[in-house]
Amino acid sequence: MNEREKILCPVCQVSFILKEPKEAGRAIVCPVCGAVLVMVQEGTVWSLTRPAHLSLEEEIHQRVDNFARLRGYHFNEMKEAVVKGLLSKNQRFGDFYCPCRIDNIPENICPCLFTRQGDVEKNGKCHCGLYWK
Amino acid sequence: MKKVMLYALSTCPFCAMAKKYFTSLQIPFDVVDVDLLKDDEKEVIINEVQRISGRRAFPVIVIENDVIVGYDELRVKEAMEK
Ligand SMILES: [Zn+2]
Repeated sequence: MNEREKILCPVCQVSFILKEPKEAGRAIVCPVCGAVLVMVQEGTVWSLTRPAHLSLEEEIHQRVDNFARLRGYHFNEMKEAVVKGLLSKNQRFGDFYCPCRIDNIPENICPCLFTRQGDVEKNGKCHCGLYWK
Repeated sequence: MKKVMLYALSTCPFCAMAKKYFTSLQIPFDVVDVDLLKDDEKEVIINEVQRISGRRAFPVIVIENDVIVGYDELRVKEAMEK
């Protein structure tokens, strides 16, 4: 992979240009969704995986903090309740699916597609009340 | 008293706030945590929610003929006072 090649985020499924030097085990942040990801090398192929060195709670906290920072969003007193909902979704359905939506599908993994596409700009907050403008 | 129905998810903070609102004001309401239903029952209720609200997001609050998607205290008050 050369420097201009894109690499896929396994969380938001968007490919982005990797700025950091390639190094197995290096942790980076997806510039689209804020997910903490780890570089993995298999032969000549580089990919990103979810961080095994973080607990689920640390992983989701870092992701939502990163996403809010990337977009300039804020939190309020609802944050911990939403994070708790995300953790309980992960426990029951295996990923951080939106705690306010019934469908446990990739588009609803937090930050959900609606939020990545600008719901916070439109409504002043995301559907769950996690991210606020 | 107006008939109040709350469609909720057990994991959703705005749903919890809606439950708390009606409880604290001692407004009688029916509530269902859709995610905790058995599969066949869940499908029926989700279809109902989608028919009523046009969406698959929660909470959905039905006050008589008013349908409120999301927890909007002002709109709930207005619907209660109608
Ligand atoms: Zn991503």
